[in-house]
Amino acid sequence: MTSEKLKGLLDLNELALTDDEQTVMQNIFKAMEQNEKVLEKVDTTDTKVMVHVMPMTNVLREDVRNQPFTRDELLKGAPECSDDSWQVPRLVK
Amino acid sequence: MKYEVTIGLETHVELATNSKIFCSCGGHSSPKEPNDCVCPACSGMPGMLPVMNKKVVELAVTAGLMLGCDINRYTTFDKKNYYYPDLPCAYQITQLFSPICVNGKVSVTTKNGVSEIGIKQIHMEEDAGKLVHDDWLDVSYVDFNRTSVPLIEIVTHPDFHSADEVLAYLEMLKSMFRFGNISECEEGAMRCDVNLSVRPEGATELGVRTEMKNMSSLAAIERAIKYETARHIDALERGTEVLVQETRRWDDTKGRTFPMRNKETEADYRYFPDPNLMPIVIDDEWMDEIKAKMPVSADVKAKEYADAGISEKEIEMLVSERKVCDLLDDTAALGCNKKEVAAWILTDCAGILRKNALLLSDLNISAQALSTIIKKVGEGKINRGIGKKVLTAVIEKGVDPEAYIKENSLDVQVDEGFISGVIDKAILANPAAVADYKGGKEKALQAIFGACMRELRGSGDPAVIKSLLEQKLKD
Amino acid sequence: MSYYVTKINENGNIAVDDTLLVKGAPAAAGSKILKGFEPLFSAEAVVRLENAGYTVLGKTKVGEFGLDLVGEFGVDANDTLKGAAAEAVANDEVAGALCVDLNGAPRRAAAISGVNFIKPTYGTVSRYGVIAAACSGEQVGVCAKTVKSTAALLSVIAGHDAKDGTSLENESYDYDTDLDVKGSKVLVIKELFDAADDTAKAKVDAFAEALKANGVVVETASFETVFEAQAAWQILMSAETCNNLSRYDGVKFGYRTPNYNNIDELYVNTRTEGMNLLTKATVLYGSDVLSKGRYTDCYDKSLKVRRVVYDKVKELFGSFDAILTPALSSTGYNAYSINDAFLKVYGESLFTAIPNLIGIPALVSGGVQLMGNHFDEGMLFSLALTAERSGK
Repeated sequence: MTSEKLKGLLDLNELALTDDEQTVMQNIFKAMEQNEKVLEKVDTTDTKVMVHVMPMTNVLREDVRNQPFTRDELLKGAPECSDDSWQVPRLVK
Repeated sequence: MKYEVTIGLETHVELATNSKIFCSCGGHSSPKEPNDCVCPACSGMPGMLPVMNKKVVELAVTAGLMLGCDINRYTTFDKKNYYYPDLPCAYQITQLFSPICVNGKVSVTTKNGVSEIGIKQIHMEEDAGKLVHDDWLDVSYVDFNRTSVPLIEIVTHPDFHSADEVLAYLEMLKSMFRFGNISECEEGAMRCDVNLSVRPEGATELGVRTEMKNMSSLAAIERAIKYETARHIDALERGTEVLVQETRRWDDTKGRTFPMRNKETEADYRYFPDPNLMPIVIDDEWMDEIKAKMPVSADVKAKEYADAGISEKEIEMLVSERKVCDLLDDTAALGCNKKEVAAWILTDCAGILRKNALLLSDLNISAQALSTIIKKVGEGKINRGIGKKVLTAVIEKGVDPEAYIKENSLDVQVDEGFISGVIDKAILANPAAVADYKGGKEKALQAIFGACMRELRGSGDPAVIKSLLEQKLKD
Repeated sequence: MSYYVTKINENGNIAVDDTLLVKGAPAAAGSKILKGFEPLFSAEAVVRLENAGYTVLGKTKVGEFGLDLVGEFGVDANDTLKGAAAEAVANDEVAGALCVDLNGAPRRAAAISGVNFIKPTYGTVSRYGVIAAACSGEQVGVCAKTVKSTAALLSVIAGHDAKDGTSLENESYDYDTDLDVKGSKVLVIKELFDAADDTAKAKVDAFAEALKANGVVVETASFETVFEAQAAWQILMSAETCNNLSRYDGVKFGYRTPNYNNIDELYVNTRTEGMNLLTKATVLYGSDVLSKGRYTDCYDKSLKVRRVVYDKVKELFGSFDAILTPALSSTGYNAYSINDAFLKVYGESLFTAIPNLIGIPALVSGGVQLMGNHFDEGMLFSLALTAERSGK
């Protein structure tokens, strides 16, 4: 994990780290690189991915409208909002 | 040197559902005010889990069948990660690894002939919200009404070579999807990303590709393609600039494209399979159900109407509006003759609408109401003139035809006793005419008949009244 | 020191971890970034308990998003770390507690406090109302003092919920605690036994003795798959956590930094100020394993390894009725630096990863862990009850 790559990851995740924290993070990546090696040894040539451990399909709902909450309830916890919308600093057009 | 432009399209279409794709908030046409179709799920609050809307799968499959696609019987959902305030969870649920439809093909017709356009895939996904910018207060408002509205994204191969072909394709999608009740395709409900490159004619390699995102007006798309093509040719021919692969924004008022300095352009979206959504398996039974419910295409409908004896000109008007076809079919299903219904719709209804400066697409009458009027006229319970009067009231005031007829005593003639009484009265009131008629003056009948019709205020069936009158005078 | 971040009803008899939503009480999952967030509804598991006549006493403290060892309760130098919910149960403040198990924290806490915790088969309990981190392996579980009360509470919250698309179809569950365990076979995984210290080994030995005294056959064998499961679950869990926590950005609810001039600063400062280093490390690692160059070797590989582990564990259950292991490497932890948290938790997940990775049930009782085949909670309860009755 280069510091440049770490910078890229921080950007992607909207995070910042102090220099000391970056060193901690570098060490974590270094250690995990070693830990991941155990996976290389597992032969998965003919193995399919397993996203869900329970074999279920077609969990679907009918196309029916139902809205149990009001806009005011939803906006109540907003850090900043108008009467009808959440509010953020002006985005660059 | 001659140049060839090559274009591929990614078209996002909002589906016509009652509810959103993963939550039960009102769908595309529900919102009246900002954030009035929002819940904890589509505003990104923790604790909610996505549950897939069955209708979305069916509409996506239907669209795929219409575009000649193979349907993936096993289809899954993935998450795409990026930050933007209109994306409340900072991820979009979409389909990367196993989209629902693949390998389609459609033909588009332009003045230069017919071209085949390959459909690479169609996938289901959720829409993002909307931002409204306030320059005065220097803030942006976030509206999640559109968040999680179901979309299909139709990705073509780079098979277009002119703006005309692109427009013809988009027009075709619009009419197909509107006719098929897949999408209402209203302003903003169909949005395009245009990938474009230019190469010298005969070159084997494609030129540098630029992408213009999120365009919804057909006119703007046409202008953007023409501008971008010219810009590429200038760069190739005269070295005005070095083309780079990038995303550009079309500014319709300035009439040119600008590079986007958005970090989204080089983002790594880190897609991965969504653990909360189980795979969807479309078995033969479900497939048959979807096919059975599949709306026939405009072509098939036209053939059906031609078989019913409807004229070519009438058919053309009918199939341009899915709603009108549905009205015709539903009215016919209630026991009316198709050709007759078509005449009522295209002559009488259209006439009434015209007087109100409205179009056929604005027609708002139930099949039940229309069939009531047509049947009453057919059975002679009201005459055609009265029928049209009732139709006008139904269209303009939304009245119930039965109630309207009763309230205005337009169907008094239905009561044969009443008609008989009116005739008797007319015979008694016109002894001279009766005597003349009995004496052989056929014309004298007209005076008695006229008296009857005045009494009935024009609402009786003239033929019935006339024969009844003759009958009575014979006796 | 209080076990609760919020007290709801002094007369209540149930504790609910702060990773689950209870309507009317703030919910923060132990994180500053959710400061002030008030849920509009209660978690399905909470509703089911309330419908059965239980009352929530309070929301118990958790480590941020449940990612840490046992919860950050009692972090004084040289102090032994304990989980708030497990301690509340151990001290009879409540009859039971609901905890979310995404990487073993409630299991470790239960083992340290000497109470029971069941992480049921994946899909048994609705995750509706869980502040999600690692959706593919996290489950709501029950912490209680006795085996019987643990089983009884689980049967209340278990069952199908249409609001969770991964919820199993079973309408209800009735857990047996009195199966005849005589002649049943239990495997001790050598690698896990060896990885524990003497105090933890002693607990496993004592438990095994109690089982043997009741006619259970206990065997020790090697099962190296535990290392693969540990690495795979760390990758899947981190990536899913990264994804689920990306919604916390200061726009819609919860904490927003006061330090911003534009949206980028709002995002970065809110998230940087709002999350601790363990959460950040999990997010960054999780993001890395999904990135272009790494997806195939890390994330995709882990999804495949999950299937390999699944198959191997299923094969084990062809010969054994349950697996017996330490729940953690020792019988307690001392306070540690947040800088060390990620790798420390990773190390301990060796004991707990398999049940999260492949959805099998795990029961901590008598300071040890029992793992069973899918839907075999009854066997785990019955074995634990046998040991419990033997005074162990």
